[in-house]
Amino acid sequence: MRDLQSPAPNPPSDIPYPESIAFVAPRFPEGSTVGGAETLLKALASRLTANGHKVSFLTTCARNHFTWANEVEPGTREIDGVNVTFFPVDSDRDIDLFLSIQESICRRRDISEEEELIWLRNNVNSRALCDHLRQNSGQYDRIIVGPYLFGLSYFAAAVVPSKTILVPCLHDEPFAYLQSFGKMFKSASAIMFNSAAEQALASRIYGIESVQASVVGMGMEPFAVDKTACAKKLGLDAPYIIYSGRREELKGTPLMLDYLAAFRSRTGRDLKLVLTGTGDYELPASLRGHVVDMGFVSEKEKHDAMAGALSFCHPSVNESFGIVILESWLADRPVLVHGCSNVLKDHCEQSNGGLWFSVYPEFEEELCFLMDNPEHSAAMGKAGREYVIREYGWEAIDRKLLAALS
Amino acid sequence: MNPDKDDMFQIGADGINASELTKQIQQRVAEKLERGVYTDARVARAERMNLAHIRDNDNFLPFYLDCLRDAVFVDISDFEITERRRFFSAPLVTLKKAIWKLLKFYTYRLWAQQNQVNGLLLSAVEGVDNRTRDKIAALEKRVAELENASSSD
Repeated sequence: MRDLQSPAPNPPSDIPYPESIAFVAPRFPEGSTVGGAETLLKALASRLTANGHKVSFLTTCARNHFTWANEVEPGTREIDGVNVTFFPVDSDRDIDLFLSIQESICRRRDISEEEELIWLRNNVNSRALCDHLRQNSGQYDRIIVGPYLFGLSYFAAAVVPSKTILVPCLHDEPFAYLQSFGKMFKSASAIMFNSAAEQALASRIYGIESVQASVVGMGMEPFAVDKTACAKKLGLDAPYIIYSGRREELKGTPLMLDYLAAFRSRTGRDLKLVLTGTGDYELPASLRGHVVDMGFVSEKEKHDAMAGALSFCHPSVNESFGIVILESWLADRPVLVHGCSNVLKDHCEQSNGGLWFSVYPEFEEELCFLMDNPEHSAAMGKAGREYVIREYGWEAIDRKLLAALS
Repeated sequence: MNPDKDDMFQIGADGINASELTKQIQQRVAEKLERGVYTDARVARAERMNLAHIRDNDNFLPFYLDCLRDAVFVDISDFEITERRRFFSAPLVTLKKAIWKLLKFYTYRLWAQQNQVNGLLLSAVEGVDNRTRDKIAALEKRVAELENASSSD
């Protein structure tokens, strides 16, 4: 488990910062409820709590990001040191209407602002949460809202825009181009981006030069690993690549499986794939017996699995930060990412800790390079680790975070 | 084995430069594409989920169509028919061969037509792609000429 409870090594004393902070996110990451944006918000909330701020994490009772069913009891609890209040998701959503408008958005058809609002109203919402914010807005000095994509974020950001700081976790996807989100970005008092590439994307889409914006990201702490633990546990005697996170089309899971099947068939090399995380996927017949799905595992197991891998493979083009590739670097292993994700590619360029592919032939060449050059793979892992410690150590993030909040 | 593992990458003494290394790999891929190393039905299948991501890449579609050319035809030729069971293996092979002959007789026309349609569709897409490229090249040339003319005025 990452030690988020430890106090900041050198809490910046020269920056004035607000006392009471509310976080708003559609889910709270706990157990198998995982999501990069939510994990990032939880980490920031934990850090601010540890640094002496009064933090409230306001979220919904949902765990599943497909059904959004209310699975958690409403109410307030302390979880992992954070004060979390769960509110029910609105039950009167018109799912059919929501999906029909969503299809138009995905197909990039022109839709009116009125239709956008209908889509947002029937998206994941919690009137109870927004009412709480409205009634208690005086209690909070800052309201940190994210990720941008949800109705809940849109309506929560509109409660007290002058106190709202957006953590959008923005991707270049059809939803990002809705006028309503443009207004949300422009009305927020500040925006905290996870990477320079994400900020550039927001500037391109919304023209947000007038809004106070900064790149913050999330702090990472080094961890100890056992490089052989995963292979021993799984009985693997061949090299493997690893992917951790949600397994779905948007994250590039089918692409990775197709690429691996082609790689094994074309090169004749016995390379396995280890998966951690949740989500269903269709396994090509030729990969049966060559993909090990560990499902949801502890942080320690995940890090051990990363440390024993040839490389971490991140085939997603929709990333605003890429926590898992930073974790892979902390485990000393290089990464292989999709070059159409500017965020992941930027990390690799800046760190020299990974390679990027846009088409299958590049994927094949790069994997062969990593397999044939273990010393260079190790050097890339090391360069990545140095980059994470330098750029994403909590000390650096604390300063950026508090500057953004102030 | 890597099907075309023939040369080494240049790694500087100062350590890894990911941009430079990726550039070298991309150059190597470009050379191999020229030589048809990746013109392979397996590559076409692997790229099916990648089409949306790289639709803006000028070079991707011709490469993908090349690979597809290798994948487009359904294999309807004869193949070796065997039997793993020790007993009655000879009559079982004969039975299987008879079933295959029957299947082939009744489905040959269907698959032959399907292959013809696949090939024609692919040719049509290639034709459209070539025509669009020519048009864009002509327009770019025209724009450059107009820009030159306006700048010299």
